[in-house]
Order: sequence, then structure tokens, then C-alpha cells
Amino acid sequence: MINLSYNHFFTLSIVIFIIGCFGLFLNRRNMILILMCIEIILLAANINFVSASVFLNDINGQVFSIFILTIAAAEAAIGLAILVIYFRNKGEIDITQINQLKD
Amino acid sequence: MFLVGSFFLFSAFLVTTCIFVIFSKNPVNSVLFLVLAFLNSTFLFILIGAEFVGIILAIVYIGAVAILFLFVVMMLDIQKTTLMLNIKKYIPIAIVFASIILAEIIYLTIYKSSKVNPDTIIRYENNTEQIGDVLYTKYFIDFQLSGIVLLLAMIGAIVLTHVYRPSIKRQNIEKQNTTLATNRVKLIKVKSGQGIKND
Repeated sequence: MINLSYNHFFTLSIVIFIIGCFGLFLNRRNMILILMCIEIILLAANINFVSASVFLNDINGQVFSIFILTIAAAEAAIGLAILVIYFRNKGEIDITQINQLKD
Repeated sequence: MFLVGSFFLFSAFLVTTCIFVIFSKNPVNSVLFLVLAFLNSTFLFILIGAEFVGIILAIVYIGAVAILFLFVVMMLDIQKTTLMLNIKKYIPIAIVFASIILAEIIYLTIYKSSKVNPDTIIRYENNTEQIGDVLYTKYFIDFQLSGIVLLLAMIGAIVLTHVYRPSIKRQNIEKQNTTLATNRVKLIKVKSGQGIKND
């Protein structure tokens, strides 16, 4: 019988982080999926913080996870606002077409 | 044993839903899989004894962020061809996922009711109380700063998406305050037996 340790959660957060990065590089369709992949990466950071906080018996990790949550919410709001005005101007959110920000 | 088993169940489901977020064709589907992933991480947090962060994760991510994503995805009308849903095709998958979620909840309730593995889990007296004790004393400035960050994000999102329409009549408070009564109202003596001319 195996006991649950920090290594399990660390491996899980690494796997989720890699999935998020993979999606970030893989998706060439639209910008919303890239924002979702950033959310997945922040979720992996949260899992790492909280599990380390629990297994090291230190509450500060959970407090920092709340701060990460705040930043993630702010980032999602700003990113989606930028997405909406881009869609209003261009009529599409294809990643490959976003190369005309200079004019 | 319940602890390890439910950890592997939740983490396998979490990884699977994260993969589905990336690979699903329809953005609405990937948002819903993102909700499932956040729900599973909530279960994981509750499993190891961090109840407050788990519930806050559920409230903030599922209640605010994922719904925001869902609204934007529905508003932007991307890829009209992939949005043709065949409901009958998705019923078995929905049943499988719902039963897995049900099994997870049953696992959690069994674990919570029985005291398994007290050695790996730190038993706080009250997780929420302990976080609040640190959050409002040691991290007071950081807490206020995160509130300012949220305020700035709100103002930024409103300013970015605001559309100014000149045809809409608005209240001009400065003009209202600086005007005089003689500009607006005219006092006329009316003689008896005569009316006034409308000019």
C-alpha cells in the first residue's frame, strides 16, 4: 500500500502544466483556446502551491494560491476584453491573422 | 486507501479533461471541459484538507471565469459550421461523465465520514480560520493590493469594451451645475384679461 505524498501532486501539476503549454503551442485556431490554456497553467501552479502548503504544514502557500486566483481572474477579464474589441474591429479571432497591430 | 484511490481517480479525470480542453473542435465544449477540470481540482484540494482554497477555486473559476469565457464564446459566433450539435450522439458520453462525477462525490463523502490515513493529512482545527488569521494580518497589504488589481481589471475591461454613441442623450453634470435660473426660467407679468404670446 502506498501513501499519498507530495511527489504525486508535483507530478500531477507538472503533467497539467505540460498539457497547458502543449495546447498553447498547438492551437492555431482561435485566441480563446490560448486564454484557456493560460488558465490551465495557472491551475497547475495552484495545485503545486496548495499541495506543498499541505504537505509542508505551512499555510502561506494557500494564501499565495488565493493571490494567484485573483491575478488569473483579472487576466481573464482583460484578455477577453481585448478579444472582444479585436473581434469587433476585424470580424475574426484567427491567430495567424493578428499581424497588423502596427496600423 | 480511499485517499490514494480517489487521488488517482481525480487526477486521471483532471488530466483527461485538460486534454479534451485542448483537442475539442468546438470552443463551447472546451469551456465546459475547463469547468470539469476546475471541479476536479476542487475535489483534489478538498481531499488533502485545503477546503477553503478548493471552494474559492470553484466559486471564482467556475462561477466567474468560465462563465465569462462561455459568454464571450457565445457572443463572438466563431465557426458556425462546428456549432451544429447532434444531441443524441452526446447522451452516452454525458451519462458516463455524470456517473464519474457521482462516483467522485460518493468517494469524497465516504472519505469525509471515515477517518482514513490521518498521518499524511494535516488536520487543521479549521482551515478557513487559519487562512484568515494570516491573510488579514501578515498579508494585509497584499490583500488590499489584490483588491486594487481586481478594480483595475474591471475598469480596464469596461474602458476597452465601451462604445461611445453620440446619439444617446446624456446628463452633463457640469453644465447643470454652472447654469443659472435666469437661463432656464422666464418670469412674465400677465395682465388680467389678456393672455401671453407664445414666442
